[in-house]
Amino acid sequence: MAKLGVFDVSVRYGKVPALNDVSLHLNEGERMFISGPNGAGKSSLLRAISGAVATSHGRIEMDGTILTGRPPEAIARQGLSMVPEGREIFGSMTVEENLRVGTGIRRDRSAIESDIAEIYDAFPILGQRRNASAGALSGGQQQMLAIGRALMTNPKLMMVDEPSLGLAPNIVDQVYDTLVALQQERGLTLLIVEQSSARAARVGGRMVLLRGGAIVDQGDAREFAEKDLLKDAYFGGAKTEDA
Amino acid sequence: MGTVAQLFFDAVSLGGIYAMAALGIALIFGVMNLVNFAHGEYIAFCVFALIVPSTDAVAVMFLGKAPALVLIPALLILGALMAMTSEYVVFRHFRRADPVAMMIASFALGFVIQNGLLAIYGSRPKAISLWPSLNTPIHVAGADVPLLQLIVIIATLLVVSGLALLLKKTRIGLEMRAAAENFTMARMLGVRANVVITGAFALSGALAAAVAMIMVTQTGVADVRMGGSIMLVAFIATVIGGMGSLPGAVAAGFLIGAVSVLLQAFLPLDARPFRDAFLYTLVIVCLLLRPQGLFASPNSKPRV
Ligand SMILES: Nc1ncnc2c1ncn2[C@@H]1O[C@H](COP(=O)(O)OP(=O)(O)O)[C@@H](O)[C@H]1O
Ligand SMILES: [Mg+2]
Repeated sequence: MAKLGVFDVSVRYGKVPALNDVSLHLNEGERMFISGPNGAGKSSLLRAISGAVATSHGRIEMDGTILTGRPPEAIARQGLSMVPEGREIFGSMTVEENLRVGTGIRRDRSAIESDIAEIYDAFPILGQRRNASAGALSGGQQQMLAIGRALMTNPKLMMVDEPSLGLAPNIVDQVYDTLVALQQERGLTLLIVEQSSARAARVGGRMVLLRGGAIVDQGDAREFAEKDLLKDAYFGGAKTEDA
Repeated sequence: MGTVAQLFFDAVSLGGIYAMAALGIALIFGVMNLVNFAHGEYIAFCVFALIVPSTDAVAVMFLGKAPALVLIPALLILGALMAMTSEYVVFRHFRRADPVAMMIASFALGFVIQNGLLAIYGSRPKAISLWPSLNTPIHVAGADVPLLQLIVIIATLLVVSGLALLLKKTRIGLEMRAAAENFTMARMLGVRANVVITGAFALSGALAAAVAMIMVTQTGVADVRMGGSIMLVAFIATVIGGMGSLPGAVAAGFLIGAVSVLLQAFLPLDARPFRDAFLYTLVIVCLLLRPQGLFASPNSKPRV
């Protein structure tokens, strides 16, 4: 049984369609990248899975349970956690309070403190600033906090929307190293929105290309990186970015 | 010296009532972007719960007969229940609706409560005497201060610090703060929308009950329309404080109380009947200068 199954899902904002009949499947412990230009519907797909926006068509399942139509808090209880685009840190709260928001759904109360310690281990800067206002953190630190906060719900499936957005390349490296390490430790299933195929290829995993709200291509991230390299060679280095 | 102290006590006790009423509105606005115009009617409802239903001019105590130790918690719970019920019966169905639709629903609810009270108690204001001994003046810092004023000040401090503690130290408080800042994100972290919103209504209703007890003791009158004027001031305080900001609501409540007492004291006699016109002119000036509210933090982005 697939960890996550998305069947013919469509999303519209009012009359504007953002996603048209998208289907994809993730196996337990797998890592998948969603790529595509701005406005392709990547964030809408993640929001639909997390219950933050309603689907207008289709069905979403996790571990065989239907998520469609259920509120975000119920989906979070099912073991799905989200690191949204722009991180959406609670800026008026402290770093540690941010980490604790998601612990209300856990039954293993005793493990919460050790999990927080673990996150401070992985991101020492968060530990140092645990009582500081989260709004005062740098972009990279906020990204780490958003990841830590999502982990505190003890998820089985984590979705991360454009973790590299607005971060320096070396910080992006650090974020991905941590994500991969966490995935191995916890057997997480990861669904990541990443525009750079070169980045995705280096991290490794399957890749789905969205355009205009539909899946136009899928395969191994490395194939996409090679195709993009070829395109760059023909059309000039517009996309050299961090390759 | 005596008059300065007198002014101070007047300002702080009036401001305290405004602050509590404003908090009741800001709490709900924070979690569901609703300006609950029925809040004033929760206050009136709590006042009338004190007396026996009748259309007589002098009220006979009903709940009001109970000793303070029973009466205070009972009325706080009643206010909370009233607010929670209105959320369950009315506002829950408007969650996905336009904020304007929700606001209109709150007006409608206010009318329903007010007319319910009119039907049961009649429209004539009633003399009501709750804890009359609290109006005996006592001598503080050269001023004759009614005991009630001191109690109002202490009660406000207790309520505000209690609320701050609740928000800062408890699980539901943490969830309410997260939801006030970013409701969808909080829900994606498992925070239950129903729990947070019901909690906000319960606190808001309890605050309305606290305001009701203070107003009744101070004025000695139960009037079906009493909620309207306090609601107006409280609403203005939440706007000036920065919509949804709890510290802002408290600060603006005290500010309006202080300005209103100062205007009353220092305006020329001929101008005093127009005190409220002066007050609201100042409010307009405030809003022109700082539309986001006097106490909104500079980096707080507008809510959508
Ligand atoms: N809240 C919204 N209201 C209306 N339209 C939206 C909203 N969010 C996204 N859209 C539109 O939906 C489409 C897909 O957006 P999005 O999912 O954010 O794409 P991506 O994440 O790939 O950049 C775009 O055309 C965007 O303009
Ligand atoms: Mg996006």
